[in-house]
Amino acid sequence: MEINVELLLGTNVRDVDGDDIGRIEELRVERDEKALLVDAYLIGASALIERLSAWTLVRPVTRFLNSRKLYSVYRVPWQDMDLTDPLHPRLRISKRDLRHVP
Amino acid sequence: MDLVRDVLDRKIVDRENCDMGRVDGLVMHLGAHTTQPRITHIRIGGTTPWMRLHPALARLAGRLARMWGPRRAEPVTIPWSRVVTAGRDIRLDVKARDTGAIDWEIWIARHIVERIPGGGQKEAEQ
Amino acid sequence: MKKILQITLGIVTSVGGFLEIGSVLTAAQAGAAFGYQLLWAILIGTLCLIFLVEMSGRLAAVSKHTIVDAMRERFGFPFFFIVLVGMVLVAFLVLIAEIGGIGLSLQLLTGIGFPWWAIPVSLLVWFLMWKGTFGFIENGASLLGLITISFVVGAIKLHPDWSSAATGLLPTMPHDQKARYGFIAVSILGASISPYLMYFYSSGAIEDEWDESYIGVNRAIAVLGMSFGGLLSMAVLIAAALALHPHGIQVDKFEQAALPMTSAFPKWGLGLFAVSMLVACFGAAVEISLAIAYFFAQGFGWNWSQNLEPSKNARFSLVYTIIILSSAVPLVFGVDPVKVTMISMALTAATLPIAIVPFLFLMNDPIYMGKHRNGWVSNSVVAIIILISFLLAVISIPLEIIGG
Repeated sequence: MEINVELLLGTNVRDVDGDDIGRIEELRVERDEKALLVDAYLIGASALIERLSAWTLVRPVTRFLNSRKLYSVYRVPWQDMDLTDPLHPRLRISKRDLRHVP
Repeated sequence: MDLVRDVLDRKIVDRENCDMGRVDGLVMHLGAHTTQPRITHIRIGGTTPWMRLHPALARLAGRLARMWGPRRAEPVTIPWSRVVTAGRDIRLDVKARDTGAIDWEIWIARHIVERIPGGGQKEAEQ
Repeated sequence: MKKILQITLGIVTSVGGFLEIGSVLTAAQAGAAFGYQLLWAILIGTLCLIFLVEMSGRLAAVSKHTIVDAMRERFGFPFFFIVLVGMVLVAFLVLIAEIGGIGLSLQLLTGIGFPWWAIPVSLLVWFLMWKGTFGFIENGASLLGLITISFVVGAIKLHPDWSSAATGLLPTMPHDQKARYGFIAVSILGASISPYLMYFYSSGAIEDEWDESYIGVNRAIAVLGMSFGGLLSMAVLIAAALALHPHGIQVDKFEQAALPMTSAFPKWGLGLFAVSMLVACFGAAVEISLAIAYFFAQGFGWNWSQNLEPSKNARFSLVYTIIILSSAVPLVFGVDPVKVTMISMALTAATLPIAIVPFLFLMNDPIYMGKHRNGWVSNSVVAIIILISFLLAVISIPLEIIGG
């Protein structure tokens, strides 16, 4: 099955229980000889900040506001993502089993 | 490597440093759920960037593209294996002319620009 | 030695290329209607422009990316396209105003109405871009543009009270016509802080193959060049304040903007004004056309360079050809360039946020900028510019309707 990665960006992801996780903002990949291998999906508002290389701007603001909310990035290993319906990606695990990216 | 930050929307150049457009899309090949997904192809032009805005715009772009010029709406699809480096630009081990990525550039040069005095040398004379 | 020459040339280019129909008309209207009271708007506009131009050049020199390149890469195609539509529409209106300005200048010199000049002028602008290189066009137009220094000479000849003029550098509110005052202030800021200048400047830095060693050159050009340019605008305002304000003459027509120069130079004033405007608008028309073509080419990843012959960057050349020739069409049908100028200045102000907000992110991107990222001073200034630009975006259209 072929998926257009650029159309996957920004789609909302739910976990196996149907809970909202966030939006796919980035894909971590490793280079192979003939292709790029998808290692993980980064989901959440902070993943967008990471993609925009905007931490130098955002960090002082969040520190000032003492806000932890922006630091929600989930790193979903490729094995835990179900993309059989690319418009409605789902996790194969529950939210509580997800890893936060530091 | 981060795919969106480091690959998507990057400029593409061929082996002679000719601009080929941008990475407008990437094709992911998804096997069984035990198989690691692979990004196998780059997509350039066609309706690909317009689909990112809205499918209706992509349909309109496709219809317009088929009406004139090279009369093609399909994107140029290049295997990732042709990528030499992915740094400031994505450098491919291809000749732009052979891929179809600059068909519009060549058509406009040949049918419009070179017909205007001072537009430049005819393709055949180069 | 080479760097000193480049700084000198860069300053000359900035000065010679600073004035255009928007900055002259808004400054003349300001001086005629409110005396020295709006000098602060030119000061703030020039300060903002200095910072934005310096950052545009630094981004290009360090990252080897133009603003549009970097914006497409960082923010993606959908965002880029929205900015493209907004920026190009407004820049196109400004281009119509500049081509119209050339036509109005020729009308002053020859008596032949500006609609008749629209097509020949746009063809001439197009022809120079078709055949000329980046250096020839930029330097040529700007060296000729030094004639606009006659506005400074004119202002001095009218013997301003400099201490009174200096009070205009601090913002004050007028007793009446508050809406009009606000509208002209917004228009001055729109005329000063033109996004197309940033896109053109960063593209020029790439055309001239700047690298990190040009950071100092860039800073000198931005500070000195834009400062001198700002002084030119102030001179226009001061001259109008002296020649028109005491007599209650408003500047609603192009030829009224010439009155301060005819007061200063009774014999040659009209000719000097017309030639100055002709050259200034010509330079601006070329810059805007290139800026629009750069936007398309860089965003879509086409070949682009003013130094290549047109067939080597066919799509880029086709874009500026279509843009320039289309800009003549409304003028042929008699659309008033002065009205287009005022509308386009207000719209420029209204669309500033979409140009400047992404720029803030790019200037702090460690991958593009490395150790040359913005410091807290530059970031604070950009943050203030963004606040000003959001305020302008909200108030400019209502003010245009009430006070314009």
